[in-house]
Amino acid sequence: MTKQSNDPNGKLMMSRRGMLLSGATLLAGSLAASLCPSLSLAAADAGAQSRFMQLSNLLINHQLNPDVGNRIAEAATGQYKNFAGMLDAIIAIAEKKNAAQVEDFFADIPEGELKDFANWVIFAWYSGCSSDKRDAKVFTYEEALTFKTTSDVVTIPSYGISGPNLWTRPNVPLSVPVPRF
Amino acid sequence: MVTKNSADVVIVGTGVVGVVIAEQLLDAGHSVLMVEAGPRVSRAEVVENWRNAPLGVKGDTSVAYPPRPWAPHPTGAEKGDDAYLQFTGPDAYDQTFIRYAGGSTWHWAGTSWRLTPEDMRINSLYGVGRDWAFDYDTLEPYYVRTEHKLGICGPSDRTKQWPQTGDRSAPYPMPDLPFSPGEVRFTEVVKTLGYNNIPVSQARNSGMPYDGRPACCANNNCVPVCPVAAKYDAETALHRLEKKGATILVDAVVYKVETNAQNKIEAVSYYDQHKESHRITGKLFVLACNGLENPKLLLMSKDDRNPNGVANSSDQVGRNMMDHPARSFTVTTKDPYWSGIGPVVNSGIMETSQGAFRSEHAGAYFRYNNFARNRFVTFAALKKGLVGKALDEEIRRMTACTADIVAAHEILADPNNRLTLSDKKDWLGLPKPSIHYDVGDYVRKCWEVYSQPIGKKIAEAMGATDVKISPKFNNSKHIMGGTIMGKDAGNSVVDVDCRAHDHENLFIPGGGAMAAGACGNSTITMVALAIKAGDAMVEQMRGA
Ligand SMILES: Cc1cc2nc3c(=O)[nH]c(=O)nc-3n(C[C@H](O)[C@H](O)[C@H](O)COP(=O)(O)OP(=O)(O)OC[C@H]3O[C@@H](n4cnc5c(N)ncnc54)[C@H](O)[C@@H]3O)c2cc1C
Ligand code: SF4
Repeated sequence: MTKQSNDPNGKLMMSRRGMLLSGATLLAGSLAASLCPSLSLAAADAGAQSRFMQLSNLLINHQLNPDVGNRIAEAATGQYKNFAGMLDAIIAIAEKKNAAQVEDFFADIPEGELKDFANWVIFAWYSGCSSDKRDAKVFTYEEALTFKTTSDVVTIPSYGISGPNLWTRPNVPLSVPVPRF
Repeated sequence: MVTKNSADVVIVGTGVVGVVIAEQLLDAGHSVLMVEAGPRVSRAEVVENWRNAPLGVKGDTSVAYPPRPWAPHPTGAEKGDDAYLQFTGPDAYDQTFIRYAGGSTWHWAGTSWRLTPEDMRINSLYGVGRDWAFDYDTLEPYYVRTEHKLGICGPSDRTKQWPQTGDRSAPYPMPDLPFSPGEVRFTEVVKTLGYNNIPVSQARNSGMPYDGRPACCANNNCVPVCPVAAKYDAETALHRLEKKGATILVDAVVYKVETNAQNKIEAVSYYDQHKESHRITGKLFVLACNGLENPKLLLMSKDDRNPNGVANSSDQVGRNMMDHPARSFTVTTKDPYWSGIGPVVNSGIMETSQGAFRSEHAGAYFRYNNFARNRFVTFAALKKGLVGKALDEEIRRMTACTADIVAAHEILADPNNRLTLSDKKDWLGLPKPSIHYDVGDYVRKCWEVYSQPIGKKIAEAMGATDVKISPKFNNSKHIMGGTIMGKDAGNSVVDVDCRAHDHENLFIPGGGAMAAGACGNSTITMVALAIKAGDAMVEQMRGA
């Protein structure tokens, strides 16, 4: 069961969410700016950004938002001295295996710096943050992939997916596959 | 006439207790000046603060409300000497509340259980704690008015209402909210053990707009903020109060309650955010700063006539601090429950709070937390080192198949659980509150012989493959007892109308007045007391 096929209220969510965001963005301009890479002084250069998206698409078998990717790449540039080198090294491992998905090459990434970095990239996309700590950088909230794995069933808190008193539904069994995203 | 430094009625604090009283007095034609320590912010700003907070701190209910330097409130970020609340004693009175215009209902869950007639007579019936100064029938009409004022929905089926004893004189203004699939399953499971998981009466618009606010549409974000104000919070009342003529001063921290030669309250003084002092006079004064800030302010206000603090000839100000000490069971189940559809708390087992055992130990209320689980499980799933399909499936499984069951306990009024003024100072140079707290044997025994065994039975019946029990009692953020009510001025702070025994024009309504708090979330009772106090004030103004 996916939202597209089974959630007639999906549209409702989008419109309400759009409305809230437009109201909020004006008032929270400074916060929004902190999440906006184009305003950043230390942005990763365009080449590194596209290499980073290439790596991310190898590590994660889902559609990824490049704006979120740019924010992660920017943080990685500051956090990992050998950022560009690690990108190249992991991409080379995947290419050597002709990898179409992460399962094809992940085990070949050597333990240590490279594996830690690969895990961090996955962590960043799934949690939307640079760490699990209070001072973590936030790359995204509602586009964090953790929410996509359950988007057919569970609300992303503050983005309702149903209407007034319309959330009665059967309990979705675990046999229902993860939505495509 | 209301000016910025005088009014008929001066109310300190714009939380739910302050705003319901303000409206009563305004409707009766009196001028009202409200003095609020914190800032006034828009809902959109709070929602954005929360969305922009890291996933790992989204559980910190104050993260969307950064305190202003002059109006500190507890946050998860500060510990030890740096923290606003200072603790002594075996247990930490680790509350959170919000010092913003609108107060702590910004981030409450809206759960609204009435007390039972028995809860108000625990000393007569069970020989423990304190009886209330009046009975349930006296409080009942004020509960009805609270339910209608805040928009509290609840079931019309009498067998599903709480309390089961005591009469209801009017129906809820809205029907109960539907259960999520997890709540349906939980209800069925506990039924096999003989427990009834009933719909929570909650301050949330059910299926319809109410009070100019929209219907709840399952954003699952009631704590820390409802993005659409379908859940009542006191901020939603502020504009209406202003239209009715109230003046609301913000960023104004009251630090002194001043008495005159007749030992009536003459004025309150506040610091603005530039540390400049201002003085406000009035006829009647209401302290509505919550159950923790009220006793602090009274103790800070001591003078020659009132050497222990204002309203404190009984020495009970700051004593009897209560809450609902809570333990949680985080269960992993074989079959999915899928928390996170609908509001964050939507049902509860209340009958376990009642019984003759209360002469021996506390009762407990059990609830199934309906928070979306992603933020609780994502880091643990990621730490497993999985990738690709296996990672997606593990996050999904853990989101669906983990749940939190919470047991909230009844604590007794104990004068040794006491708030005093710390020698540590806040940004304005005012003393931080220091609280000595011990949940006590009454609670600990309940946990040993009653609530823990029940919780484990429930977990087992849910098909738990793993149960993690919180290692200590957590706080429920229901601040009660510090300005306790009673008929005897020698051992209580306020009378049956929340009027200070010591000062005829000072009212201290809310949680501080509660003599016993049972197990259920108590804001509904705080507000019922506020409305009762409001009636008394209107009456008193007639004679003024
Ligand atoms: C996470 C969370 C969830 C909760 N969920 C529930 C629930 O489901 N059900 C329930 O019944 N209760 C719940 N509560 C408790 C509930 O929020 C409080 O009981 C309620 O808000 C108390 O109302 P109040 O008006 O007395 O105080 P508050 O709401 O705290 O308001 C006090 C006001 O006074 C102001 N103030 C304080 N000091 C000063 C000063 N010196 N000068 C001027 N102004 C001052 C503050 O800024 C604030 O605006 C919850 C609390 C928390 C933290
Ligand atoms: S479930 Fe959503 S809409 Fe309903 S009260 Fe909670 S946050 Fe508001």
